[in-house]
Amino acid sequence: MAKVFIDDIEYEVPDGKNMLEVCLSLGFDLTYFCWHPALHSIGACRQCGVINYKDENDKRGRITMACMLPASNGTRISIEAKAAHDFRAGNIESLMLNHPHDCPVCDEGGECHLQDMTLMSGHNYRRYRFKKRTHTNQYLGPFLNHEMNRCIQCYRCVRFYKDYAGGKDLDVFAAHDDIYFGRSEDGVLENEFSGNLVEVCPTGVFTDKTLKQHYTRKWDLTSAPSVCHGCSLGCNILASQRYGTIRRILTRYNGDVNGYFLCDRGRFGYEYTNSKKRIIKALKRVSGTYQPIENGNAFEEVKALMGEGKKVIGIGSPRASLESNFLLKELVGENNFYGGISNTEGNLIKQVIDILKKGKVKTPSLAEAKGYDAVFIVGEDVTNTAPMLALSLRQAAKNKPNEEAFAIRIPLWNDVAIREIVQERTGPFFIATVHHTKLDEISSGSFYGHPDNIARLGHAVAQKINNNLPSVPDADRESASLSSSIAEALLAAKKPLIVSGTSLFSKNVIEAAANVAYALKEQGKDVGLIYTVPEANSVGMTLLSENFVDDAIARVEKERADVLLILENDLYQRIGKKDSEAILKRCNQVVAFENLENETTNSCDYLFPAGTFAESTGTIVNNEGRAQRFYQVHIPRNEVRSSWKWLDILRQDLQTAEAKDFDAIVDELIQKNPELQKIKETAPTADFRIGTQKIPRSPHRFSGRTSMIANINVSEPKPPVDNDSPMSFTMEGYHGIQPSPDTAFYWSPAWNSVQAINKYQIEVGGPLHDGNPGKRLFEPDENRQAKYFNDIPSSFHPSNDELLVLPLYHIYGSEELTALSHAVKERIPQAYIALNENEARRKGLNAEGGKVEFYYQDKKWELSLKIDNSLPDGIAGLPKGLNETSGIGYPFRTKINS
Amino acid sequence: MQLTQRAKHVDRHPMTWIERLYFWNILKGMLITLRHLFKRKATINFPEQKRSFSSVFRGLHVLNRDEEGRERCTACGLCAVACPAEAITMEAAERLPGEEQLYREEKYAAKYEINMLRCIFCGLCEEACPKDAIYLSQTFAPSNYSRKGFIYKKDDMLIPNPLTEPETYKKALGERPAKMIGNQ
Ligand code: SF4
Ligand code: SF4
Ligand code: SF4
Ligand code: SF4
Ligand code: FES
Repeated sequence: MAKVFIDDIEYEVPDGKNMLEVCLSLGFDLTYFCWHPALHSIGACRQCGVINYKDENDKRGRITMACMLPASNGTRISIEAKAAHDFRAGNIESLMLNHPHDCPVCDEGGECHLQDMTLMSGHNYRRYRFKKRTHTNQYLGPFLNHEMNRCIQCYRCVRFYKDYAGGKDLDVFAAHDDIYFGRSEDGVLENEFSGNLVEVCPTGVFTDKTLKQHYTRKWDLTSAPSVCHGCSLGCNILASQRYGTIRRILTRYNGDVNGYFLCDRGRFGYEYTNSKKRIIKALKRVSGTYQPIENGNAFEEVKALMGEGKKVIGIGSPRASLESNFLLKELVGENNFYGGISNTEGNLIKQVIDILKKGKVKTPSLAEAKGYDAVFIVGEDVTNTAPMLALSLRQAAKNKPNEEAFAIRIPLWNDVAIREIVQERTGPFFIATVHHTKLDEISSGSFYGHPDNIARLGHAVAQKINNNLPSVPDADRESASLSSSIAEALLAAKKPLIVSGTSLFSKNVIEAAANVAYALKEQGKDVGLIYTVPEANSVGMTLLSENFVDDAIARVEKERADVLLILENDLYQRIGKKDSEAILKRCNQVVAFENLENETTNSCDYLFPAGTFAESTGTIVNNEGRAQRFYQVHIPRNEVRSSWKWLDILRQDLQTAEAKDFDAIVDELIQKNPELQKIKETAPTADFRIGTQKIPRSPHRFSGRTSMIANINVSEPKPPVDNDSPMSFTMEGYHGIQPSPDTAFYWSPAWNSVQAINKYQIEVGGPLHDGNPGKRLFEPDENRQAKYFNDIPSSFHPSNDELLVLPLYHIYGSEELTALSHAVKERIPQAYIALNENEARRKGLNAEGGKVEFYYQDKKWELSLKIDNSLPDGIAGLPKGLNETSGIGYPFRTKINS
Repeated sequence: MQLTQRAKHVDRHPMTWIERLYFWNILKGMLITLRHLFKRKATINFPEQKRSFSSVFRGLHVLNRDEEGRERCTACGLCAVACPAEAITMEAAERLPGEEQLYREEKYAAKYEINMLRCIFCGLCEEACPKDAIYLSQTFAPSNYSRKGFIYKKDDMLIPNPLTEPETYKKALGERPAKMIGNQ
């Protein structure tokens, strides 16, 4: 603790901070631009000027940047002194010289840090009357809009993009008052985290291009705290709507998960919720085409189908909530419920869960992952399968070199000094994958091989850490030396981190990663072990599933089923055409609860319109075992609703049927699944009130309430009521700091931009006022004996005529739903089949782009050739989940022809 | 206790016999009527005849154009947020290349609606508008057969184009000094 004086009042503050952080944490409204809690200080904008006094006798003091001033014992500053005030107002005035006068046109208006800071500084009259400098804007791709004239040269964008996210194609050009932030030429911003510039840039230079398509001011948005369904990490998001369509996604700060950032899949992949392909009413297939059917009739007919003695089976979904999966299971009966993924995938996830639960190694959260100082990735293309984890790992790679700076007493917040010392150096970072991945650019050693060879490398590393483990037979010299250097680096680190996952569908890879972690743990290391899984609720669904789709197929093959209920699951995507048809054909009636039309819904008998994350409330469990609640953003003016509501009505007596409220379902769920007890604590129950008030989904400035739907209904019906949460759908409710799981927007007097988040944190950049939302369901048992996995696979030998085909992942395209969003669509790569040059030549292929034919499940597929020399011999890579490759189950072997 | 000077005491004295005579009171009433026949008329022959308005009268809204006939509104939403009756709602759209003649700013209101049943004609929208795009004209809200008819769409409010229809434009502008609507 240090004692500092701000305007002659003494405060106790934690050590190792700078004065700007301290002032903001104490609640002072001090202006700033270039400082960002995740990017730290560089002292570039001069906006946080305060007067610093030597001691209590110093009456004059000198202007200092608070963000560069350590909050050490005895520091004395004044924020209020006139000189400080004038300095800040003057500084804004000069920043504004060239700033256009276009707040009404600007998309940032109303949530602009520059607007807030200008008001806060007291500068309110523009004296400059001359021509302003203007810039040409660039085309930056489908995600971001560029309007360079609005720039105030704070450098946050390049610091985030280059230093934090590792981007290469955004930079700063030119000099003095003509500084330009952009690309060297027009083109798509390539980094996977470019969308964060929307929130990082304090002005309207970088704004959300997808929002622009249906622009709405922040104050007009109705938002709900939600959780990204784009991958298994469960980043927290704020999803916002107006006029019944989702307009944008912003980061919802969660100090334990995604912090201030999101990946572009999560941020821009929401547009499928507004798709024309949404199923919006109950449908029944009558002689080949779907006809709308009245809800009540649909219920009755489906119920009749499922009557006494009927054989009913249900297939769950890794993208539906725990509650929906649970109710399906209740409806069809435990033995008739199947997790909606292949058995291979299901068993892998089961194994991961087993390791999470029973292993003795900690699974760090996404935020904790930033704190490790050596990383070993075992078989996962993190940037594409769990993007935000890649961002965390990039920060972890900085820890080792940063220590050099700490050794000479440079605090972490002093980013200029740290960058100066560290330069581009990174810490120990090893990657073993099938092919070249983006993180290779920061790796100290990369290995490309078949999953079994990756596993062998893992086992070899584990063996070098713990000599009692069996050594890997027939190890080649190259991987032996790599495994030694990896083992050495991990042992030298204080906190080594092992990252692996299910993306290669390899049990061996998962086991090898666990072995390395266990071995390090036994050496007394504070080791972390992270697994990624395929989808948003893969872990949650698997916790509820005993069997998976292959079991269901086996069952219907033996004995036809009367009714098949499919919950939010495009079987064609997940298990492929052949298996889907096998199961669909052997069930007399198929009832699906689905968001969008897809191949599966083409062959159903009844369709119920299921809500996406935008129209549903539920709980999902991320890869770390963290259960998180997401809330519906609105009640749409059609029949779409949470799947669990449909399912709940279906299991009741139809005469009196009314969906139970959410809390009742959760209670039932945890009563039947005691290990999920904690999901009840992830958020307050629906009867929670602050005083007597609910929590609003809209800010108090929300406009147009008497006119928004006047064109549809002049008589202004009562706004819908949410029985499933303590939140209202309007501005009515408590406008102070809300409970962290239920915060729908960030706003505080004088803070209209996203930086209002400062006020929601106990300490700026730290946890939220009542703790970060989400509850971890499993914690490792430190006292357990490590139980090593002893199956060391033998080395992969490429066969002469057949290739082994493995999935390659793409952040845009490999996820089913986000891939349907316009902006994301533009970034999806052309489908291809990747081979290394050798292999291509051996097959008589040479030109990149040439047509390649292969067979999968007796069907001929034709794709163009992509040469990827990092791929090992005997292996071909296919982009997973693209339209052209959807429904392929990996891995498989095939012959290829040109 | 008397709260104002204008309080009138109720006269409860018993009626005199003249007052009790029916005809006396009738006559008194007739006299009043007769007197009014010779007074100035309180009504006018609307719509043939129109009242003159104060120059700050606030009637129906007009969405303004600039001197080149381009729509001024940029759908910034400030009028809507200022509106105490929450009667304004809009949807923004991006101006496309080639539409520069239509819209003054790079963003415009694709949809702009006012619920005239809710509007209190306070004029705060006009005051809030940074683009001089909306102002309250001297037309007051006409009657309508259905409530729906009071939901004014953009087309109901957009002023005629001064270049192509100068006459109707002028009429729509009314007698408001041009400087108040920002065209000079
Ligand atoms: S573009 Fe934005 S973030 Fe970058 S320097 Fe300019 S104002 Fe700062
Ligand atoms: S990393 Fe995953 S959960 Fe996070 S924003 Fe991206 S897709 Fe969503
Ligand atoms: S005149 Fe007043 S009430 Fe009517 S739309 Fe304008 S701001 Fe709203
Ligand atoms: S009328 Fe004026 S205030 Fe209203 S949206 Fe248009 S420009 Fe903005
Ligand atoms: S915030 Fe301190 S100089 Fe920019």
